Amino acid sequence: MQPSPGIRHGQLRAEWPTRRIASAIASCLVIFLGAVVIPSPACAQKVRITNVTDVDFSLIANLQVESRRSQNICLFSNSAGNAYSVAASGSGPGGSFTLANGSSSLPYDVEWSTQSGQTSGTSLSANQILSRQTSAATQQFCNSGPAASASLTIVLRAAELSRAREGNYSGSLTLLIAAE
Amino acid sequence: MFNQFRCALVTGVATSLLVTSPALASTNGSFGATSTGSVTINASVPGRVRISGLTDVTFSNVDPLVAARNAQSVCVWSNTSTRGYNITATGSGATNAFTLSSAALPVVPYTVEWAPTSGRTSGAVLAAGTALTGQTSTATNSDCSAGPSASASLVVSMGSSTLQTMTAGATYNGTLTLVIAPE
Repeated sequence: MQPSPGIRHGQLRAEWPTRRIASAIASCLVIFLGAVVIPSPACAQKVRITNVTDVDFSLIANLQVESRRSQNICLFSNSAGNAYSVAASGSGPGGSFTLANGSSSLPYDVEWSTQSGQTSGTSLSANQILSRQTSAATQQFCNSGPAASASLTIVLRAAELSRAREGNYSGSLTLLIAAE
Repeated sequence: MFNQFRCALVTGVATSLLVTSPALASTNGSFGATSTGSVTINASVPGRVRISGLTDVTFSNVDPLVAARNAQSVCVWSNTSTRGYNITATGSGATNAFTLSSAALPVVPYTVEWAPTSGRTSGAVLAAGTALTGQTSTATNSDCSAGPSASASLVVSMGSSTLQTMTAGATYNGTLTLVIAPE
């Protein structure tokens, strides 16, 4: 949805200074009282994570070096300061970051960066909240402004690969974003 | 009599390949106080083996009336589901024979034995170029730096009758190559 350059109400016209505000308004109920625009209580701090893609390491030929996959993500927050927190949980026992192949498991690491295009970041612990993150996104889907606002990196460490059993491993990673 | 046998051991690695068909299941989040996204992660680990912990073999000042035998514990690791592997040994002699040479002197044979457990002084006799199959490793780490410190035994020996054919003071050399493959 493209942000509106302004809102008309009768003879009144409220000009919005930034695309960010316009985008936020597009997602919130707005009450018009004369020339004053008041966000409704429903217009609380909100976030959205989009553009996540599956991670495929394929066949890892060299088990003695770490293998790393990074992706750009759109993370939008309309809160003051565009702040958010992120918590990750894997499909391993207790939400641990492990891939499974039958009874065999392959641990992995998760890293998060508040900038796109990164191949490393802050290491996340399973089920632990990483707070005080800031998004540069100006639109929910990053259709305008920055095309991405965060980086997710999955790392398979050499120490784990070099003792992993042969086979195909799979798992899921869930990212819970909360407005701050 | 001074016979010296230096046995340089060369490791071999073989691979079995796997192919994956990753599921496509990523989900984007909705717009709200919280937003949840998820991704599926797929990785394929190929079959791998590794042999390490090998040391050269030297027979010095051996008594030709007594058979010479050298046993060493080595680390063989396999990541297959059964931790299985096979081993093929080749020597540096003619047609990969297990022989030592010293210039123009006649070559002398030696014997190679293999055991899939450490600390052994004997094992299955290997034939040059022929795989010994059905071996299983207890190693849990590729270089045995954790878990068992060794998982197999290599035994090199020379019979008394062979020793008696060797020329005193001459140095005999050869190379033994061990190739491990996953099973």
